[in-house]
Amino acid sequence: MSRLKAIIRHEFRLMAANKTFVVLTILGPFLILAVTVLPGLLSMNPKALSGGEPIAVSGADAGLASALGSASAFQGRSIQITGTDERSLADARKLVLSGKLAALVLLPPGWENTGASLYTKTGTDAALYGAIGGVVDSHAREVRIQRSGVDPVLAGELTRRIGVSIIKLGSGDTEEAGGEADFVQTLFTAMSFVMLVYMTTLLYGQMIGRSVVTEKTSKTVEIMLSSVSPRELMFGKILGLGLAGLLQYGVWVALALVLSKAVLPLLGMAAPPAVAPGNLAWLVVFFVLAFFLYASLYAALGAAAEDEQHLGQLAWPVLMFLIIPLVMISSFVSNPGSPLSVILSLFPMTSPIVMLIRVLIAPPPFWQLALCIGLLVISVYGAAAAAARIFRVGILMGGKRATLREMLKWLRVH
Amino acid sequence: MLSVNGVVKTYETVRAVDGLSFEARAGQIFGLIGPNGAGKSTTIRMIMNVIAPDEGTIRFDGKAFSESMKARIGYLPEERGLNRKVRVIDTLVYLGVLKGMEPVAAKARAEAWLERFELSGWKNEKVETLSKGMAQKVQFIGSVVHDPDLVLFDEPFSGLDPVSQDLLLDAVLDLKRKGKTVLFSTHVMEQAERLCDNILLVRKGSELVSGSLADLKSRFGSNSVQLEFDGDASFVDALPCVEAVRSLPRWIEATIRSGHSSDELFSAVAGRLGIRRFQLMEPTLHAIFVRLVESDENCAEGGAYHV
Repeated sequence: MSRLKAIIRHEFRLMAANKTFVVLTILGPFLILAVTVLPGLLSMNPKALSGGEPIAVSGADAGLASALGSASAFQGRSIQITGTDERSLADARKLVLSGKLAALVLLPPGWENTGASLYTKTGTDAALYGAIGGVVDSHAREVRIQRSGVDPVLAGELTRRIGVSIIKLGSGDTEEAGGEADFVQTLFTAMSFVMLVYMTTLLYGQMIGRSVVTEKTSKTVEIMLSSVSPRELMFGKILGLGLAGLLQYGVWVALALVLSKAVLPLLGMAAPPAVAPGNLAWLVVFFVLAFFLYASLYAALGAAAEDEQHLGQLAWPVLMFLIIPLVMISSFVSNPGSPLSVILSLFPMTSPIVMLIRVLIAPPPFWQLALCIGLLVISVYGAAAAAARIFRVGILMGGKRATLREMLKWLRVH
Repeated sequence: MLSVNGVVKTYETVRAVDGLSFEARAGQIFGLIGPNGAGKSTTIRMIMNVIAPDEGTIRFDGKAFSESMKARIGYLPEERGLNRKVRVIDTLVYLGVLKGMEPVAAKARAEAWLERFELSGWKNEKVETLSKGMAQKVQFIGSVVHDPDLVLFDEPFSGLDPVSQDLLLDAVLDLKRKGKTVLFSTHVMEQAERLCDNILLVRKGSELVSGSLADLKSRFGSNSVQLEFDGDASFVDALPCVEAVRSLPRWIEATIRSGHSSDELFSAVAGRLGIRRFQLMEPTLHAIFVRLVESDENCAEGGAYHV
């Protein structure tokens, strides 16, 4: 057995026995379950999303009460009519505060012209407030029309909404009727994929960095280097962990495929369109590229660091590049073709995550995809070569805190 | 087997190793001896190519160090460090495989060594469960499991109980018997005295004295004889070969006058006293070291002794 192979095997085994790894591998499928099944389930049963607390209305006429009661957005919530006197209102406010009422809608005299108020405890259930507001608003319109003496049929025809349907164009001139639900599902899938790549890249990168710095401080590295070269040690670690990561993604992808191709059709549900085999393949490709890039960087930083704390300080700039795309994710999702998205989907430090988002939302031009992967491969190669040099010098350097500037100097050591 | 020539290593402003030269031959135990901070570990790490010397050369059978030689060398660093989360037997097999062994062979050899060090019961335990002494024995096994031709032990005995020390001592002597080259460092002179064929005494990075232990002892041989006897030894004081005497009723220590030998004293006392013990007092390595350090400090620029 070659020495490199022995190190890869050893590191792979250590990783496969690692608790975090096992937990993540097991919990990963649940995350995928959430991506594939939950959106469908939720659209079938909105009650699961919202609580069932009733809504109190004060000062409404019978027409509005029944309109509210039949509005679909708060199906399952009952409507309580409350008196308009001070005491009833005070009681209702208390109930809202204690959480027994979802909201109190207060309609003062003349509300159809002057407006109404809605009292809630949290102020964050925008969907519910929007729905109530919509019903109240349209009812006010109806009341005003009636009073003006305009023919209600004519008024209805004049104020009818026509609706704009959303159609997603695919390559090959396919048309896909979509709606808000599809968009939400795609967004949900994209977010989950991005979180997976971000989490695993960060986790494995830091694991490599910590593993190197621990071996360095515990002097295990001297024993290792009395048998193997620094290059073998570093690449053995990266490849061993990378293999474990691939195994993990293999498990996840297989599960996602089984779920979307076999289990969901049996249940009569369709998998979200974004969980397609092609997209799963992209997920693996971008994980592999991100992993090798960040693993090399972390290996070099681990070798240069004096202890774990020092590693944390040195790793900050690297971590930033991993976090930036995560913070700006909504901008990439809504504008996947914007100049900012394009630049960050080509820049190697951020491209695995940003390009993955773009691929999932709207396929980018082929040349951009090719350029992105080409740049990433070159960067991985360059980072590994540079890391090998920093590793060789840094791994045996003890008792001195290396700065990033010093590490750049080590690059020139032959 | 191993020859070191004028190696120098400077850290910042300190010359940790300042022009050391020596040779360790196959089938011999070579001791690198000196107080803490004398540059022993730095020297061994340079031999192991863990750090590069600033000057000087290190040759193995006349050849410079190369990656492929690592398989023939065993190394026990001064600071012990094994992955705490890995089982003992897996650790040893891994170390063996890294030296180019087949896993099966490495396992068999590791088990034999564990048996020898009375650690068989621990082979499936994780390293973190071992006591410090046990971990050290495991690491010792790790450095010899691949049957290397040259072994470098940095302070192999430190922190071991007397029984373990003897086990290790036997193991080292076995290696010598098998024709291996053993180089070890220690600051405990007594251990060196029991084991070494050749030694190099180091102080502040430079050589104080080197050579075979036997030659050193006679070179620095003290000129005193201890005598235990029955009878009246008052005449000894007046003997021409004796310069001074410390005497107790049945014990004297006589200092031999220079130009005379202890044989003269023996023939003079034989027959006149009932001799129970007649011992030529060899200086201990410790005594030699102390003497050299003192004379070194007296004549600051004095060169090293060679025997």
